[in-house]
Amino acid sequence: MKLRTKLYIGFAFLFGLFVLSYFILTAMMNQLGQNTGVAMKNHQMMNLANTIQDELNIFSRESRGLLSNPPEELIGELEKNREEALVNVRAAIASLEKLDNRRQSQQLIQELKRLGKEYSALEKKTDALAKMGEDKKLIKMFWYDSREVREEMTEISKKLQAIQKKTIDQELKKSAKTSKQTIHIIFAYIVAVFLIVLIVMTWIVRSITGSLKKVTSVMTEVAFDHPDYLPRIEVTTKDEMGEIALAFNAMAQSLEEHALQEKQLKHEAEERSWLSTKIAEVVHMYPGMDHLDALAQWFINKVAAISGADYGVFYIREQEGTEERLRKVAGYADAQSSSEGQSFKLGEGIVGQCAMENRIVSMDPVPADYIKIQSGLGSAPPAHVLVMPAEFQGKVLAVIELASFQPFDRLQQLFLQEVVGNAGMNINRTLNHMKVEKLLEEFQAVNEELQTQSEELQLQQEELRTVNEQLEEQYEQSEQKTRELEQIRQALEEKAQQLTISSQYKSEFLANMSHELRTPLNSLLILAQMLADNAENNLTPEQIEYATTIFSSGKDLLNMINDILDIAKVEAGKMEVVFEDVKVSDIKDFAEAQFLPVARKKKVQFNIEVAAGLPEVIRTDKQRLQQILKNLLSNAFKFTEHGAVSLLIQKADDKHSGMEVSFAVKDTGIGISEENLTFIFEAFRQADGTISRKYGGTGLGLSISKEMAHLLGGFIEVESIVDDGSTFILYLPDCHKAEQAEYLSYPLEAAAGKSEGTNEAPADDLAFPSLSYEEKEEMMERSTMLKSKKIFIVDDDMRNIFALTAALENYGAEVKFAENGREGIELLKENPKADLVFMDIMIPEMNGLEAIQAIRQMAGFENLPIIALTAKAMKEDRKQCIDAGASDYISKPINLEQLFSIIQVWLYK
Amino acid sequence: MQVSKALGQDEQNQCLPHKELETVELTLLLEGIYRYYGVDFRNYALPFIKRRIWNRMQAEQVKTISGLQELVLRCPAIMDRLFEDFSINVTEMFRDPSFFLAFRTKVVPFLRNCPSIKIWHAGCSTGEEVYSMAILLHEEGLYERTTIYATDMNTNVLGYAQNGEFPLRKMQLYTKNYLAAGGARAFSEYYTARQKKAAFHSFLARNIVFSKHNLAVDRSFNEFHVIICRNVMIYFNKLLQNRVHHLFHESLVQSGILGIGSKEGIKFMSITNFYEEVDPFERLYRKIQ
Repeated sequence: MKLRTKLYIGFAFLFGLFVLSYFILTAMMNQLGQNTGVAMKNHQMMNLANTIQDELNIFSRESRGLLSNPPEELIGELEKNREEALVNVRAAIASLEKLDNRRQSQQLIQELKRLGKEYSALEKKTDALAKMGEDKKLIKMFWYDSREVREEMTEISKKLQAIQKKTIDQELKKSAKTSKQTIHIIFAYIVAVFLIVLIVMTWIVRSITGSLKKVTSVMTEVAFDHPDYLPRIEVTTKDEMGEIALAFNAMAQSLEEHALQEKQLKHEAEERSWLSTKIAEVVHMYPGMDHLDALAQWFINKVAAISGADYGVFYIREQEGTEERLRKVAGYADAQSSSEGQSFKLGEGIVGQCAMENRIVSMDPVPADYIKIQSGLGSAPPAHVLVMPAEFQGKVLAVIELASFQPFDRLQQLFLQEVVGNAGMNINRTLNHMKVEKLLEEFQAVNEELQTQSEELQLQQEELRTVNEQLEEQYEQSEQKTRELEQIRQALEEKAQQLTISSQYKSEFLANMSHELRTPLNSLLILAQMLADNAENNLTPEQIEYATTIFSSGKDLLNMINDILDIAKVEAGKMEVVFEDVKVSDIKDFAEAQFLPVARKKKVQFNIEVAAGLPEVIRTDKQRLQQILKNLLSNAFKFTEHGAVSLLIQKADDKHSGMEVSFAVKDTGIGISEENLTFIFEAFRQADGTISRKYGGTGLGLSISKEMAHLLGGFIEVESIVDDGSTFILYLPDCHKAEQAEYLSYPLEAAAGKSEGTNEAPADDLAFPSLSYEEKEEMMERSTMLKSKKIFIVDDDMRNIFALTAALENYGAEVKFAENGREGIELLKENPKADLVFMDIMIPEMNGLEAIQAIRQMAGFENLPIIALTAKAMKEDRKQCIDAGASDYISKPINLEQLFSIIQVWLYK
Repeated sequence: MQVSKALGQDEQNQCLPHKELETVELTLLLEGIYRYYGVDFRNYALPFIKRRIWNRMQAEQVKTISGLQELVLRCPAIMDRLFEDFSINVTEMFRDPSFFLAFRTKVVPFLRNCPSIKIWHAGCSTGEEVYSMAILLHEEGLYERTTIYATDMNTNVLGYAQNGEFPLRKMQLYTKNYLAAGGARAFSEYYTARQKKAAFHSFLARNIVFSKHNLAVDRSFNEFHVIICRNVMIYFNKLLQNRVHHLFHESLVQSGILGIGSKEGIKFMSITNFYEEVDPFERLYRKIQ
């Protein structure tokens, strides 16, 4: 049954019950109304009966009043009231007659009517009697006749009243009964209706809420946060609920579809937004990256984190020598050992291959041992490995390898492609940037290095200059010393000259003396020899022996005298040298002749050797040469007890340039100790005081030999070992060279001589006796600085010229002046060797600035120091001076201190 | 180049290649000097150090750096000489006059607003530039409220700087520099020539504090409005350059001025972004953060 039908039935039933109850209630009310109406009528009738009674009473009272002689004035009123009461009684009887139509009552009313007429008649009589004044009759009539009627009437009305009251009571009883019944009926009815309605309602409510509940329970099951699945209502009925369920199901269906669609759209939008956000996130960071390693590290960190990779490495393509390699520059969770996978050749491994082909390589699934991603707790192989090239204009610049435990989803791959695609350009940009940066940095470094080097050079230059200055200073000092030395030397020379002269006298005296000595000695010797010869055979062997001793001692004495003579000659400069051609063989013969006998005598070997390659003839002084050799050889024999003495004549070796021949005298004698070697050639000194005593001789031989060798242009060398023997070597030059050597031996003297006369400085010392040392120094410096310097002043102010000239000339400067620019230039042209020019700016004819400009134009004056004199204090004026070509400026009035400082600066060379 | 030749001959008997060995020896020498004498040259520019060491080797007539090391460590006098070698004291008054001109026009206006001015002249060497700065500030009327801290690691040159006497022969050049640097008066007003020297008037040194400071090891000692350090860092390697730059950065007041040498730059330093250019050609920078 449909819901509508159910409701209709229910409501119709209720409606029926309402109608029924209306009829029942109406019927009951009518019954009640009837009962009440009867009671009311009786009540009215009872009232009328009462009225009759009351009015009769009033009539009788008024009548009695009249009878009792009332005051005149009241009689009217009493009569009136009596009349009225009588009227009322009649009216009441009439009404009662009309109302009460019951037979019993009608009889009574008729009786009453009759009585009323009777009473009226009586009344008339009474009245008539009253008028006639027959009181007694009246009273009698009143009290008897009237009263009797009245009594009767009252009796009848009482009867009426009783009847009426009885009817009322009956009716009231009836009515009470009816109402009691009605209440019962209503109660039963209400109970019945309540039950019926209850049943009907329960039935309807049950049937409606049951279906609703089913629907709502399904509907409440709907979770709106998951609009993609909605519950369905099972359709069991074909009523409205069934329709609702159907409609709901349809709605759920479309909602589900919509939700799905929306979800999909939302997902797509989210993906798109994610992609663009993440890409933007990556792309926006590029401009801040200006180093490739940082870029790579940042990139791999970022990209791995965003794409959910658990492992990542970044390779950069690099030129390594001739081959290109991919070098690992950054890693994410990279735990590979340092050597492995650090770099690949192009085409080597998947990384290399990826770079060569410029193609993404995806490995899914990954072989179990491919790589392991490590953490502190363990390691596991990834599920997916992606190797991607980052290219720019077709060239792969980098390769990025990523691995993940989860396979990369579509979106992640999309992101990676996009980002890696972008990376190429940025890597290229960064590479270029790095190149530029590197070049710039190199440039900067080179710049700094250049600066360093330049400063170092400057420093070295400075050091050199300092050294130079020191040297100069030293040179000056040494010059000074030399000068002093020269002075000393001159003094000494003078002394020496005096000495020489006296020594010469001595030597001459000595020479003369030895000559004087020799002459008697010679005769002594000759005589001693003659005696020793014993020509006359008259001498005893003893005497011969004496004579021989005299001879040999005399000979020794003569030798000694000769030696002394020689040395004296040498020292007196009187030894003469005569160069001639000397045959070497003659020298050999001489040596043999002289010393073979000695050798034989001493039983010492004597060898003379002449080496090959010697010139046959040398140019020297034969006599002196023989003398030297004789000295050397006799020394050799003197000190040689055993062994041999040899003379070796050969060509001088290369070490001694200019020397032609060497004569080496070698012995196996006692030798000379090293310390003695230094002074064996010195005159009057002997190696050992004991030697002369043991071996005899003056010890002058070597000194003489040395001097003679020197005269011959040669020299003597000695080598010796104590107890092993000595070697004396005489070197002699070719004569021409010897002559040159003689010439060259006095160059110093000439140089020393030249420096004479320049030493005037000490004289200045005396010029400023009252000044302090420092001031003196300063003055001296100024004079050294200014001495003979040509300083020009161009100024038209004579006082100024005078002051300057005076100040400068005081220090020995040569001052010239001109009074205007033109004159100044003329002056310069006439004297081009000016050292410094003071140029006043405000001068006639050609002002200072023009003059300076003109001077600078002239050849040879580009670097001439020109000091501008200006009275103006403005910076601009000064700048003009400098612009015109002035070297410096000085303000007027001139401060002398400043003037000298500036002169010193600009005269500094 | 006698030395390198000698080393080249030695090389044949060595297992290590020549260059590598040399670097090792060099590192050891510098480390030794640092450990023993406390002077840190370890972060100086290598080519420079090499050249100076070669120089010293030649002068001391040793053939190897190790040989020099022994001498240097055993003999403080030789260490002193080597120290002097490493301390390049090349400077001049108003060096690079355009720098001083730029300072006058672009930095002096900023200094006018400072009630007292502190200037640090790091690596002042013989002090020429310090006196130049004093003259400049004197002419600009700022010298009275200025303190110039002139520092160098070499006390010898500081002593020289304190004297304020410079060689007369250089004065022609200095005068030209002074004029080109926008000198407002006569240069000769500031000095008196005295025995081959130009003695600068003592009032110029009144506000200069000369003190020893080694940029390689010492720290900041004050806060400055201007720091001048020209052609000092060229002798340092990158590491030390960065250290020194950080030192300067922390020693500068906000908006303080840094002046460096014409061949130097802050482009590749870690503090690049802390400065803005006041005059990029004259290498004047202002601290901005």
